[in-house]
Amino acid sequence: MAVEIPKPKHGFRREMSFLERLYLPAIFKGLRVTIKHFFGHRWTIEYPDVIPEAAPRFRGLHVLKRDEEGRERCTACLLCMYVCPANAIHIEPALATPEDQDQYTEEKYAKVFDINMLRCIFCGMCEEACPCGSIYLTTDYETADNDIDHFIYGKDRLMEPEGSPLWFKE
Amino acid sequence: MGLIGQPTDNVLLGKLNDLIAWGRKYSLWPTPFATACCGIEYMSVMTARNDLGRFGAERQSFSPRQADLMIVIGTICLKARPVLLKVWEQMPEPKWCISMGACASSGGMFDVYSVCQGVDEFIPVDVFIPGCPPRPEMFLHALVLLQEQIQGKQGVAHERRMFIRREVQQGVNAEWQSKQAEEIVRQQQGQA
Amino acid sequence: MTKRSDRELLREQESAKYRWESTSPEMGMYDEAAQSDQMILNLGPYHPAMHGVLHNIVTLEGEKIVSVEPHIGYLHRAFEKLGEHYTYHQFLNCTDRMNYVSSPMNNIGWLVAVEAMMGIEVPKRAQYIRTIFNEMSRIMDHLVSMGILGVDCGAFTGFLWYFEERERLYTLLEKHCGARLTTTLGRIGGLKDDVLPDFVDDVRDFVKRFSKTWVDFDTVLTRNRIFMDRVQDVGAIDAETALSYGYTGPNLRATGVSYDVRKTNPYMCYDEFDFDVPVGEKGDTWDRYTVRVREMLESLKIIDQAIENLPEGPYCIEDPQIRLPEKKDTYTSMESMIHHFKLIMHGVPVPAGEFYHSTEAANGELGFFIVSDGGEGPYRVHVRRPCFYYYSSIAELLQGASLSDAIATISSLNVIAGELDC
Repeated sequence: MAVEIPKPKHGFRREMSFLERLYLPAIFKGLRVTIKHFFGHRWTIEYPDVIPEAAPRFRGLHVLKRDEEGRERCTACLLCMYVCPANAIHIEPALATPEDQDQYTEEKYAKVFDINMLRCIFCGMCEEACPCGSIYLTTDYETADNDIDHFIYGKDRLMEPEGSPLWFKE
Repeated sequence: MGLIGQPTDNVLLGKLNDLIAWGRKYSLWPTPFATACCGIEYMSVMTARNDLGRFGAERQSFSPRQADLMIVIGTICLKARPVLLKVWEQMPEPKWCISMGACASSGGMFDVYSVCQGVDEFIPVDVFIPGCPPRPEMFLHALVLLQEQIQGKQGVAHERRMFIRREVQQGVNAEWQSKQAEEIVRQQQGQA
Repeated sequence: MTKRSDRELLREQESAKYRWESTSPEMGMYDEAAQSDQMILNLGPYHPAMHGVLHNIVTLEGEKIVSVEPHIGYLHRAFEKLGEHYTYHQFLNCTDRMNYVSSPMNNIGWLVAVEAMMGIEVPKRAQYIRTIFNEMSRIMDHLVSMGILGVDCGAFTGFLWYFEERERLYTLLEKHCGARLTTTLGRIGGLKDDVLPDFVDDVRDFVKRFSKTWVDFDTVLTRNRIFMDRVQDVGAIDAETALSYGYTGPNLRATGVSYDVRKTNPYMCYDEFDFDVPVGEKGDTWDRYTVRVREMLESLKIIDQAIENLPEGPYCIEDPQIRLPEKKDTYTSMESMIHHFKLIMHGVPVPAGEFYHSTEAANGELGFFIVSDGGEGPYRVHVRRPCFYYYSSIAELLQGASLSDAIATISSLNVIAGELDC
């Protein structure tokens, strides 16, 4: 055993000793432990001034990725839509014309890709199901808003900018 | 006193409004209507790490009559809906409402016969928080947004949020940008 | 602010619409009580001392409770109905939200049930990591339930210390599983991801720190006379009655019956660890408190043993019919792509039939009864949730107690509304 696990001192004993029956010693003992905690570490975060970083694996807001040539990776296979337990994803596939073929990896692409962030439960199943590494969950979590209409995230807000670093989650 | 809280051109009353709003935003008395999972995260908002007292909202009012902020935390079922409405009606004006979590805001994954699909169906909600359950920081962000709303200004929290999304938006969607440009041109033509 | 007046309008409309719902169906009860000396009190659904939306209609005579009528259904989220529409993997999200105080444990319970139904052997490493998370969530649950019992008896300080430890566990879960509360950490056949390399150090740190906090909490609360007077001989239930109600878990062990699924029917690899099962005597609130507080130490023991002997190896079963292929392979190889699509669309191959498997959750025996027709999801799921059986006995437990004792009793039973209504 690497760490010493404390042994319960009293067990299930119900009877009180004379000192315990006096009320006061227990209170002073408690106060001693409490005062000891005054001089411990600082534990409170300073949120609005310092934004705590979420862990790299944290499942936050979604992003749609592009490949190394700046084309959209999503091929509208609808697996994420199928697997989503909350039915938060809505995709409308379309066929790419020869003129804009250079924007997409395949001839099929997602014309509409909406995620309802209020429905989404951030379980990460879409990320797991995506067969072409298109949808990822980032660590961005500041998503509260006053207006309920802002929560349908369309392609304009989900798609990452062109020229973003290539990135795969392990 | 009837004028207070109304928009006015009067300098004195306007300043008084600002002062009252300033007082209100730093002394919110929340009444948590905690039902489900998000309640556990709300507990963590109250305790030492996230310390709600820093925002002046540490006085948890379990009596709705002495509260001005209602926080709906967790799934609201059809059976709990009249209870929530009754609690909301007991709160005196002015009052605000934060809906915390996916279930309270939209029903979340529970699109079933027994769950109310979002509390904004029957009470006015000021700030929505997505997430299932949201992190405590997300709740604090919503609280700051609400404070800014009470003051009647969009301040730091709003700007930061816009900034984060702008990073994603920048140069993303040529289509969207050209549409914006077209719209501006159209507006200018219309004005001319 | 013109917005306010809009809101007032909306409020009036909506309140008129729903007013008929607000009238209580039990109005006749109040008239009857008014003629006698009794008083009817609604404990809940919105009450500071009720954890979650529990509703008890209490008839009082002075301070003494004459009768209690527990009501359920305020958090009925139709998990069992949803289960019929979900695949076995998607149902993990439901189990997360069942007992939300210790969600990894419900996940693992469901996974163990499905795996036993399929008859597959999970790799050793995955089982050990699952055991660690399982015991961690048991600690998480007892931290909250016993901290809240302290709060209900007037001791707020200990709760804050306990919650700090819980925050540390949250941080650990977030680092290794990706979410603070609803982790969805497992997949059928193993885990979603392997834990990060510094997992061992993190867990050791936690065990070391938690031992200290446990001693502090114990010093402050356990032998304090005020607390002892509040909880001793309050809400007692004898072993026979408890068994007849279907008690399991810590609340049954408090009555003196040594029943623990981890010992009687070992699942995962609990038979490889050395731990005791604390057993109480009288089954009152004090025993329930002591059993839970000591169970945390036993969980620490298990975590300590598991982390010392953590084996190397795969974190998930190597069967392409059950496990999703690696992302790299999915992008490049056609065969992996086919497996990927097939697994997502058709789910794991579960044989047709009926099956029941139970695990020891933080609150008691958590069982899943699965009926499968061989399809991608279960045909029917029934969850044997321990809270339901505790809550049904409340009328008998609280008979004759005083109102302040009722609060401590309900708190010590640790009834979680999400699990109760399922």
